[in-house]
Amino acid sequence: MSRERTAKIGFIINPIAGLGGRVGLKGTDGLAGQALARGAIPQSEERAAAFLKCLPRSPSPIRFFTAGGSMGENALARCGQSYEVVHHPPQLSGPADTIAACQQFRQRNVDLIVFCGGDGTARDVASVCGGLPILGIPAGVKMHSGVFAISPQAAAELAIGYLKGDVRLRKTEIVDVDEELYRGGELATRLYSIAQTPYQPVLVQERKRIYLSSDEEEFKDQIALFAGEFMRDGSAYIIGAGTTTARIAERLGLEKTLLGVDVIQKGSLIQKDASEKDLLALLDKESSVKIIVSPIGAQGFILGRGSQQISPAVLRQVGEENLIIVSTPHKLAEIPRLLVDTGEADLDRLVAKKRLVVTGYRMAQRKETAAASLC
Amino acid sequence: MKIKYLLDEEEIPKKWYNVAADMPTPLSPPLHPGTLEPLKAEDMEMIFPKALIRQEMSTDRWVDIPEEVREIYRLWRPTPLYRAAALEKALKTPARIYYKYEGVSPAGSHKPNTAVPQAYYNMKEGIERLATETGAGQWGSALSLATCLFGLKCTVYMVRSSFDSKPYRKSAMRVWGADCFSSPSDKTEFGRRVLAEMPDTPGSLGIAISEAVEDAATHNDTNYSLGSVLNHVLLHQTVEGLELQKQFALADDYPDVMFGCCGGGSNFPGMIFPFIPDKMKDKKDLRLVACEPTACPTLTKGLYAYDFGDTAGMAPVIKMFTLGHDFIPPGIHAGGLRYHGDAPLLCNLVHDGLIEATALQQTEVFEAATLFARSEGIIPAPEASHAIKPAIDEALKCKKTGEAKTIFISLSGHGHFDLAAYDAYNDGKLVDYEYPADLVRQSLAKLPKP
Repeated sequence: MSRERTAKIGFIINPIAGLGGRVGLKGTDGLAGQALARGAIPQSEERAAAFLKCLPRSPSPIRFFTAGGSMGENALARCGQSYEVVHHPPQLSGPADTIAACQQFRQRNVDLIVFCGGDGTARDVASVCGGLPILGIPAGVKMHSGVFAISPQAAAELAIGYLKGDVRLRKTEIVDVDEELYRGGELATRLYSIAQTPYQPVLVQERKRIYLSSDEEEFKDQIALFAGEFMRDGSAYIIGAGTTTARIAERLGLEKTLLGVDVIQKGSLIQKDASEKDLLALLDKESSVKIIVSPIGAQGFILGRGSQQISPAVLRQVGEENLIIVSTPHKLAEIPRLLVDTGEADLDRLVAKKRLVVTGYRMAQRKETAAASLC
Repeated sequence: MKIKYLLDEEEIPKKWYNVAADMPTPLSPPLHPGTLEPLKAEDMEMIFPKALIRQEMSTDRWVDIPEEVREIYRLWRPTPLYRAAALEKALKTPARIYYKYEGVSPAGSHKPNTAVPQAYYNMKEGIERLATETGAGQWGSALSLATCLFGLKCTVYMVRSSFDSKPYRKSAMRVWGADCFSSPSDKTEFGRRVLAEMPDTPGSLGIAISEAVEDAATHNDTNYSLGSVLNHVLLHQTVEGLELQKQFALADDYPDVMFGCCGGGSNFPGMIFPFIPDKMKDKKDLRLVACEPTACPTLTKGLYAYDFGDTAGMAPVIKMFTLGHDFIPPGIHAGGLRYHGDAPLLCNLVHDGLIEATALQQTEVFEAATLFARSEGIIPAPEASHAIKPAIDEALKCKKTGEAKTIFISLSGHGHFDLAAYDAYNDGKLVDYEYPADLVRQSLAKLPKP
């Protein structure tokens, strides 16, 4: 590692992550006992070990802080890494222990928090990481948040790269689905927070790539610049949640509600954190209203229950032709198709077609959009 | 069924056809980028030979092809006209499909048709070296070949992303004795400036043009050479269409619709310009269709206006359909079709309604190219494949209506250097880019006035 001091990683395993998946429970929230009874075998420690085995060993340039027993200590000991236990969980650990351990990591100024789990774990970690970069070793049933590496090995590469200073950070969304609904066959993604994570585009460089830059942040700027231009038309713009849409507001010198929906008109923020009622009231008085959204999470939801404010009634009044989708080309390449889940199947069908997605300055792509209810 | 319609070498045209003589609306003059006054011949002498400047400004209907140029044309001309019998069968269409294949040239495309006379005229006027830019590498290869045949030196500034990704294009240029540099390079003032500001830039055609122009302008023995857009380039390319007229006569047929791909304009205009007088007289139903990518839809979505020919605003200001000289099209695989404008001669005829235009998505283009390769054998260049897709659609329309139309495809080159693009298609990695025309129009409508 090029950093002079020893790098510090906070390391936490959700020992029951992924338990539900193999026994058909679609997530493990509140159901660990049931999963174990169905014969589920804990696998998150194996995933964590696969990550640790890819890191340099003694003398290791990395110092780990972790939680006791199955929450990290066992795996680190097995893999011969040096570590310090900063939180001792009871035998039946839970989300509170993840949170307590992360608070300890913060106090010790770690460079990076690496966790092994799924979206639920990501949510817990992100809720207390206080801006520290976090990186997920995929081990859960649902991994729709942008902080997960594609494999434990890839997570190790990203972690090493980041600590060496070779890999950048990006802001990404922490999303989770409502497991109750998910078990019933419905996908309902909700955006919980925004976190920083080490990121290397998984895109293989196209042989004849003429991108001006591989830097995703630059594309957000390009999109924001273009949006700033076409938003001069005087319409009221309902701006959905997410980091790409937030950049549009930022470029106009406005502070956007990151997890909520704002309304911008003629360069001013006319409604902050709008509710469905606010939006319907807006539609009553404004003749031209448009919506700008960007895909959320690894599934690529553009409209879902995550942004309930943009309800079926709002969308119907605005008209699907006035729905503008923005996304960086990097993100678009990672999702197979866009998904829409307004909660009303006929409206979903209206929106679900090959849609134009603004991906840069005066640049767009066509992307297949599907109704989640029909998937 | 006869498959190939071949002409004897003696039938290589002796004159090029200049469409400027027959256009209903005269061409608007190019303007000086500094003064915005009409460009004078002297303005161009710093980088072009006098003979080419004369051709650039000429309205004579016919221009003699020098015998030395015809001698070299003999290496691959006349190019064959094929009846696409296997493709017709695959489509089960009553339509007759023909294609004229320019991929038989040593450089694999139509580009040597103008590279050879350009090198010739420069050699005649004592020029020792030509500088040029190349995006996808087809033009750079063609000029390397042509300069080599006339004993000139050649410097090619190749857009860095292509330089890195299409190594065999530069290998070919080296074999023909040219120096090929990755652009931006440290060989020019402009290149050094760009490198200092953006060391990681993948380069662009605009940067490469600026480097080649600077090279030519700062060396007395060196001129600049361009492979599309300019009037004299389109003039030279008419050897294609003039041969094609004779070949259709041999086949005792005449096209109902002609498709050709269009980037800056060279192959398509060269193929169809000789048919313009027919279209204006007794063949009013003949459809001439320029095919472009949705990622860079100059003719279908652009504005007909005066604009700069290059990104830096150094090249002449010309009246054309344009997406704006600051528009940088996304990195589609048909690199030869990524130009913000189009040849003024072609734009003039599109504006007058004699030529129509259509835009195609990358994925559908490769799908059509694959069908073509699997029936006709030839693996077409991604650029040329933009003409294949709408031709197939037209043939399928004929299948429905039962019409036996004559459909023509201008097949400008082979895709042997583009196999990575075919791999991307087969791996499902192609992205369908599109120019957000409505949003751009919306953004231009309320531009703040200076």
